[in-house]
Amino acid sequence: MNILIIEDESRIAKRIERMTRDIFGNALQSLTHINTLHEALNFIKNNALDLVLLDLNLNGDNGFDLLTTAVSESFHTIVISAYKDQALTAFEHGVLDFVPKPFNRDRLEQAFNRAITKEKSENHQIKVLAIKKRGRIQLIPIEDLLYIKGAGPYTELFLKDGTKELHDKSLEKLEQLLSHAFERIHKSYLVKMSEIREIIVESGSKYMAKLKNGEGIPIGRTKYKDIKAKWV
Amino acid sequence: MNLKFLPCLLFVLLLVTSCSSTPVFKEYETVFQVGDQQEWATKDLNDQDWKKRKIVVPDGKIFWSRTKIDILKTPDSLHPYGLQLDVYGEYEVFWDGVLVGKNGNPGQEAIDDPGGKMWATFSLPAQLTEAGEHLLALRSSLYYFPSHTGIYDMEIAYYDALLTNRLIESSYMHLFAGAFLIASFYFLFLFLSNKKEYATLVFSISCLLFFLLILAEFIKAYMPIHYSTHVIRLQIIGILMLGISYLIPFYFSMQFPLPKRKLLLAIYAAILLYIFLSRYVFELTANNMALSMWLFSFGIVVFGVYKKRKGARLVLLTLLLSVPIVFVTPFNKSLFAGFSLILLGMFYLLSLRIKEQRLAYENSLVQSTRLRLELLKKNIQPHFLMNTLTSLIDWVEESPKKGVLFIEALAKEFDLFNQIENQTLIPISQEIALCRTHLEIMEYRKEINYSWVEVGIDLEQKIPPAILHTLLENGITHSLPLEDNSIKFKLVFEANSHYKCYTFLTFATRVRQARSDREEGTGLKYIKARLTESYQSKWDLTSEPTDQGWKNTIKIYS
Repeated sequence: MNILIIEDESRIAKRIERMTRDIFGNALQSLTHINTLHEALNFIKNNALDLVLLDLNLNGDNGFDLLTTAVSESFHTIVISAYKDQALTAFEHGVLDFVPKPFNRDRLEQAFNRAITKEKSENHQIKVLAIKKRGRIQLIPIEDLLYIKGAGPYTELFLKDGTKELHDKSLEKLEQLLSHAFERIHKSYLVKMSEIREIIVESGSKYMAKLKNGEGIPIGRTKYKDIKAKWV
Repeated sequence: MNLKFLPCLLFVLLLVTSCSSTPVFKEYETVFQVGDQQEWATKDLNDQDWKKRKIVVPDGKIFWSRTKIDILKTPDSLHPYGLQLDVYGEYEVFWDGVLVGKNGNPGQEAIDDPGGKMWATFSLPAQLTEAGEHLLALRSSLYYFPSHTGIYDMEIAYYDALLTNRLIESSYMHLFAGAFLIASFYFLFLFLSNKKEYATLVFSISCLLFFLLILAEFIKAYMPIHYSTHVIRLQIIGILMLGISYLIPFYFSMQFPLPKRKLLLAIYAAILLYIFLSRYVFELTANNMALSMWLFSFGIVVFGVYKKRKGARLVLLTLLLSVPIVFVTPFNKSLFAGFSLILLGMFYLLSLRIKEQRLAYENSLVQSTRLRLELLKKNIQPHFLMNTLTSLIDWVEESPKKGVLFIEALAKEFDLFNQIENQTLIPISQEIALCRTHLEIMEYRKEINYSWVEVGIDLEQKIPPAILHTLLENGITHSLPLEDNSIKFKLVFEANSHYKCYTFLTFATRVRQARSDREEGTGLKYIKARLTESYQSKWDLTSEPTDQGWKNTIKIYS
């Protein structure tokens, strides 16, 4: 695990650090603490990370820019903040968890577990996916999204208007975030359930999900029963 | 104030001032002759060779004047006509050769005390006022103003009506004057209770001058004034007119500020004084002053309308309305109608301002409450409270003894906030204590060595609560420690006869801001609002980066 802590309160940063080491033990490969927004953005750009623990209010700056940058990256973001009213915004942008201050070890561990065990997020509030496009962050509304296709470490987002966007997060990570409306119907596909018009059984026990726009997406043999049950 | 009502009122005023009845007589040219012959009173005398122009009769010598008059309507029986004269001098009145009245002792003026009055009313014998040609002859002397020969005004009507009409007119005008007197007092008291509002004072003085002007104008109806002293009344009226003519545009210039106001007002004063001093015909002088007053006011109000100032349009309307009134009505009435219209406009403006002030006052109350809340919130806003509690939990878990010290520091800051919570000014020592406690807390949280230095603090001084504390918070939030993990704060106080100045310096590494166009933080807004609350506009706040960190100065002017 490569973890970055972005926090400008030294005592709190040390607390998070200590608990993180404690929880991950040997699984931890690197743990970095940064206390300014500018350095954090640089670090994220130049290092491979698995998890970022982010305080939204750094040195009086609103951490919104940092938040949208973080959620567009391949890693999961957990926000640790004093402002509970920011939780909704954070979830809308697709953070894995929001840990309000003051926190204890149990709460932090619970957040980490979500990241480690690929447990599905309880986050029903996600409204947008942030993607990097021509060096800028663009927010894609979830309602415009039809399905997502895995492409190696990346994913391709297929939108209602027929366009396709690239996301840095893996299909697994997006599945975690979008579990309330999307189903993994195939090892390479994550599909919005409400977009499926019918499920077709083709010869050779091939299963297809027919979308409302006419596209067909294969359903994994092992997933068929499950999907069928959920779709009805 | 219901504005629809105002134009109606103005219209009624216009009607009242413009009505008059048809005359019952026609007056021909007056002719003059120096000398004294009793037969000059007779109706049928040939006065072809008498002088037609006004003449100068020095030394109070007797002279005669004859005026042919046509009575157009025979009076009702037992209801005699009267004759009212506005004539300089002392004289005897002959109507168709019959002596009908006497005003003073013509020819005896140098010896006798002054007798008679400027405005005299005589009853005419009923048998001499049938419709047709008649003759008015005056046997006069003019000791004091030998050039003021002639009849200035004449009225023939029913005798009782002549006597009462004038009183009725002046009683109405006095009612009117009373209203302005009360307004004058009211606004004077308003001014005395708030001495910064010079507009109310100017309005009060204008009302008082207007009250005196009405009195001076209509006093002639009930107070006998000898023609030799009449000029004093005219001078008083002239001075009052001068005052009013200056004050009205002055007032408008206060309400609708214009560029180069002082210069323009000085020029205007010079123009008025020139008109006033170069008087030779009283009514012309008064008219010129009124005209320049109107023109100057008009200019200011038009500028106000152009600048979209509140109330300017209605005042412009009253100014424009006063124009037709002046054309429709005779001089003395038009002056008052016009003036009162303009005063109404001024009154309206003042009521607007008073309303604005009330709103501003209510706003300031709301603002004070909001500032108090903001002060209270400083300690419970999540960024402070939750971060502090998180650090505190950590200290308690890791090092309980330090945790206790942390809690004590926190308790002290809360206690200080409670003490200052409902005050607008607190001793500087209390503010410094607050800052020091805050640093203690932040040291536990940030684990940075904060130090605090004061220079030249005068412990007698007071300061709005938590403004230095807010600067300190900003300093902590926006700074990174120096190489040796320290941040130093320095408070310097300087005072001289013009101002008191607090300089607050932060020695630290500045945080690179993510966005350069950061809007003004709530912290600075709070400080500004607090300074305004206590010092109105007499303060300055600067906030700028330095090589070593950040510098704030708060200047309070005395």
